[in-house]
Amino acid sequence: MLDLNRRKLIRGLGAGAVGLATGGLRIGGAHAQSQAITVTAFGGIWEQTIRDVMVPDFTKRTGVRANVLIGGPQQWMAQIEANRAKPPIDVLMNTVDLALIAGKTGLVEPMAKDKVPNLADVPARFLDVVEGNGVLFTYGAWGLAYHERVKQPPKSFKEFVEGTIKGRWRASLPSAAYTGTPQILIWSLADALGGSVDNVTPAFEAIKQMKANSVFWTGISDPLTQLESGEADVAVYVDGRAWAHFDAGAKWIRYVNPTEGGVMQPSIAQKVKNGSDAAWEYINSLLSPGPQAEVAKRMNFGVSNSKVDYPEPLGSRITPWQETRWPPFEKTGIAQREWLDRWNREIRA
Amino acid sequence: MRKFVHRLSEDMPAWALRAFMLVFFVFLIAPIAIVVWMSFSAQSYIGFPIQSYSLRWFRRVVEYEPFLNSLIVSIKVAVLSTLFATAIGVPAALALARSRSKAADAIATFLVAPISMPLIVLGFALLFYLSTLGFGLSLLALLIAHSVVAVPYIVRTVIGVYRSQPADVEEAAMILGASRWQTFRYVTLPLVSPGIFAGALFAFLISLDNLPISFFFGSPETSTLPVILLSYTENQFDPSIAAVSTVQMLLALATLFVVDRIFGIRNIGAPT
Repeated sequence: MLDLNRRKLIRGLGAGAVGLATGGLRIGGAHAQSQAITVTAFGGIWEQTIRDVMVPDFTKRTGVRANVLIGGPQQWMAQIEANRAKPPIDVLMNTVDLALIAGKTGLVEPMAKDKVPNLADVPARFLDVVEGNGVLFTYGAWGLAYHERVKQPPKSFKEFVEGTIKGRWRASLPSAAYTGTPQILIWSLADALGGSVDNVTPAFEAIKQMKANSVFWTGISDPLTQLESGEADVAVYVDGRAWAHFDAGAKWIRYVNPTEGGVMQPSIAQKVKNGSDAAWEYINSLLSPGPQAEVAKRMNFGVSNSKVDYPEPLGSRITPWQETRWPPFEKTGIAQREWLDRWNREIRA
Repeated sequence: MRKFVHRLSEDMPAWALRAFMLVFFVFLIAPIAIVVWMSFSAQSYIGFPIQSYSLRWFRRVVEYEPFLNSLIVSIKVAVLSTLFATAIGVPAALALARSRSKAADAIATFLVAPISMPLIVLGFALLFYLSTLGFGLSLLALLIAHSVVAVPYIVRTVIGVYRSQPADVEEAAMILGASRWQTFRYVTLPLVSPGIFAGALFAFLISLDNLPISFFFGSPETSTLPVILLSYTENQFDPSIAAVSTVQMLLALATLFVVDRIFGIRNIGAPT
């Protein structure tokens, strides 16, 4: 029998509450007094790489600490917007569509080449993609991942669509709930099937016909389960994560960059307006060839500094950015609400 | 034979109910059981069938700092917001329960508003509201936000329990010479304590699992476990998620166990 009673519990909770509250206040105080910037990272391997590689490089050069905030772009954008004068974040890691919005709404500053020397080794297109309001840090290419049981896999998106409609394999497709779907599925199929960002009817017609032999996913890890369980055989998927899954022990997974080219999906680093000037130095670390090579090795994603040489097997895995297709991100960002509405009427119905 | 058929038809509703209960129980427990089962996998990714078993993902929970740090933040926020909400909610509930004013009913209904709207909208609104007030992304802001969600649970359960008690008991105490404080301390409080602890238990568990509110208040010091888990699952696909979920479930079970030993789960929500 536990030696507990109501009075002891209430006393204990009261004492604990005081301890917890004062402990919490101490954390806040320490942070406020020290010299530190706040940088952002996605969870898991992303965060670990930032913490193990980028932060030490930055701190070694500047003596400034960098606190890592784990989360996602929507969360960080809202936090900056709510505290514009004194933003809680100094360096924002973003998706390209939100990075464009952040630039237009003045949440971030244009990249300053004089403050970030490593920008000299970054192709101009990696800045132009967000109109200079940030720089591409890493990228993935969305092609086709499949299970080794598929003996004659598709070599192009066109073949993928035709084979799915004919029932040669079951396809795994991103649903409307996934944020990248407008680019990696709707625009991609429209482009591959003779349409464009202004004419996505070929994509919707294809998805409607593929629907009978397809499963749709919402979480980015779902296709891996679907491929392994046999629920699907071929998936629209990103190269880096397919290879990471292979390295984790799933030796059955294969990836192909379709002949039309995988769809470019960049991660953008941005300097937050009114944030610390030390953020420029951190972005310089993000773009340094040494740390970038380590990022590529750990995450299986392409990086932006042209001085980085990928060792094998990384070199044959990473899709060169010149071989990827770049959606007109600004236009897809604007059109995606209309596309979602169309999806609800034509695909979900 | 006829007797047997007659008895069978008589017992049928009871058997049907039992079968339904069993199916319903399996339906509820199966996903949880799979998560716990998966947490013991030795594989580097989530997949079926499990080839071999190990505790490596529990070790990962301890070694991967964000998991452990955010778990501590989650517990801290759950305990403190429950206490804050109890301190605010119980007096409000007592005042509203005995009031004969029409406004009291309206206020009692209004106090449920925070859980009547999508929490993601509430979180977004609270972020801007508390930032305007200068709280920023502090632990205090997170506590206030969680307390706002916890208050309705405590208010509703305390009002329910208090209204089921006749006012005569308190009046009798006062007629016999008890002061207002003594009446509250020795009569009212023991009467409503099952409601307080029922509400507090809900508030604690809901805070521990809360994602939509915590999502907007995450900072390097205040990110809670659900926020870290969300970001982790979007970028990595290993069974450590299952292991940390198992730890969190054990924590919730331990809370229920402690509450059961002190109050008895059966008594919670009903006057003793």
